[in-house]
Amino acid sequence: MADFLAQYGFLIVTLVQAGLLGLSLYFPLQAGQLSLASPGFYAVGGYVAAILLTNPAYAGLRETLGQGVFPLTWLAAALLCGVLGLVVGVPALRLRGIYLALATIAFVEILRVVSLNLEVTGGAVGIFGIPQAFGFGERWQYIFLFGPLLVLTLLFARQLERSRVGRAFRAIREDELAADAMGVPPTRYKVLAFVIGAVLAGVVGAMSAPFLNTWNARQGSFDASIAILAFVLIGGSRNIWGPVVGGALLTAIPELLRFLADWRLVINGLVLVVASLYLPQGIVGALERWRRRPPPRRPVPAPSPAELRGGRRTP
Amino acid sequence: MNAPPVQATTVLEARGLTRRFGGLVAVNDVSFSVREGEIFGLIGPNGAGKTTLFNLMTGLTPPSAGTLSYRGTRVTGLAPHRVAALGLSRTFQNIRLFRALSALENVKIAQHVRTGAGLWAGVFGTARAEEARVEERAWALLDLVGLADRAGELAANFSYGDQRRLEIARALATEPRVLLLDEPAAGMNTAEKAALTSFIREVRDRFDLTVLVIEHHVPLVMNLCDRVAVLNFGELIAVGDPASVQRDPKVIEAYLGGE
Repeated sequence: MADFLAQYGFLIVTLVQAGLLGLSLYFPLQAGQLSLASPGFYAVGGYVAAILLTNPAYAGLRETLGQGVFPLTWLAAALLCGVLGLVVGVPALRLRGIYLALATIAFVEILRVVSLNLEVTGGAVGIFGIPQAFGFGERWQYIFLFGPLLVLTLLFARQLERSRVGRAFRAIREDELAADAMGVPPTRYKVLAFVIGAVLAGVVGAMSAPFLNTWNARQGSFDASIAILAFVLIGGSRNIWGPVVGGALLTAIPELLRFLADWRLVINGLVLVVASLYLPQGIVGALERWRRRPPPRRPVPAPSPAELRGGRRTP
Repeated sequence: MNAPPVQATTVLEARGLTRRFGGLVAVNDVSFSVREGEIFGLIGPNGAGKTTLFNLMTGLTPPSAGTLSYRGTRVTGLAPHRVAALGLSRTFQNIRLFRALSALENVKIAQHVRTGAGLWAGVFGTARAEEARVEERAWALLDLVGLADRAGELAANFSYGDQRRLEIARALATEPRVLLLDEPAAGMNTAEKAALTSFIREVRDRFDLTVLVIEHHVPLVMNLCDRVAVLNFGELIAVGDPASVQRDPKVIEAYLGGE
């Protein structure tokens, strides 16, 4: 067991982390918004944690809080990314489809160039020697952080889907104009979906900085945007398990096929091509078609005509 | 000593509504008023500007000039979801259901403006009572249009006529005071058209609505509507009860062509 964890522990944590990043892209997609901004927020979250954990300016804070500084980094990353998501989301979400995707790629690039040139982010070198969270001695122990975060995120996503807000997201995804005409304010919910994704990516970044030990501008790049998009497309974008399965699979394949040396990248490419050709709904989407959904069950009491009219307002 | 005639309340008042698309004037200086509880028909040849007028009235297209007010509140200038909150709801000529969602969900979504559960109420499940009410009303509305036994089916899988009825149920779910129907009979056969007339009346009475209908089918309009307005090339050429509008020389010319 110890050998197994020593060999594959890092990989397993990386799979969960990839699933979480896939999910951060899944939330805006729920509202029909193709955003590739996740790596940007992931990078910001990581820098927040790296700076709080290494910068001499916060030495006093670290001394006072002890291990409590780690949850504080998550919180700070969540808050900052939430606010940043709001600031970026309000203007960016006026764009649609591929234009929004392009704008979010630009956002990721801007953040990358800024972090390359700032002193506080360590410039091109980045930030080194980030202390291990809660004094973890082994990398696999990070599953105790990413695991619960994944469970919480999946629960959150499931509950959201069944709620009024989740319905508003789907309505906008299906037909933004009709949603608006039926009383769903599109801008508010598009921004909300974007901010949820931003906060999640930020927290994942803040947890990843100690896990990876160093943090630099390579964390948030255009390549990462495309990789995360592939997680969601291959796994499936209409089911919460899609990004998780896609992220795990696309992260695992290159690692497990390491013995094939350079050929493994060919296999990875083949998986992408075959899956997008034959599984346009993604892997989970394809599996879902085999499962018959039970018809919705009607609640027992039949309403009176007065109830049908709802709480009638007098004009 | 005659008592003064009972003055019906005006609910909608359009003043000088105009919409230009580049050089084309789709709706030109249109003014009319709609009385509470009436079924008001809007007819005219293809391209006369009927749907554009509906779009101006529901906030989907901002007018180039003019105003629409609903019981004294200005409607023009409001975003579509605000117009829905005010109590105006519509269907679409080229049906715009949420196609990949079930019939039940289509009707649930449209209750958005009359409910208030936010993100956390949804995530922590603290809005159970509201959810139950939404669910119950959705089923009752599907009952009304006769689709309750197919509540779980995707909207895209319904026949044309059923999709039109589902759209009416969805529009009613916003709890409107004014219902705007854009060609509700399009694609229906004669029997369905006849049933639609009584259905629209029934809905009007049951929900205390004022109804505006765009319709091509002249017998249906004459049967259904209390008053009719005729648009031609974006201009309002006649308003009145169906019989007198039908005799109006300008209307006859618009439909049959002048010399």
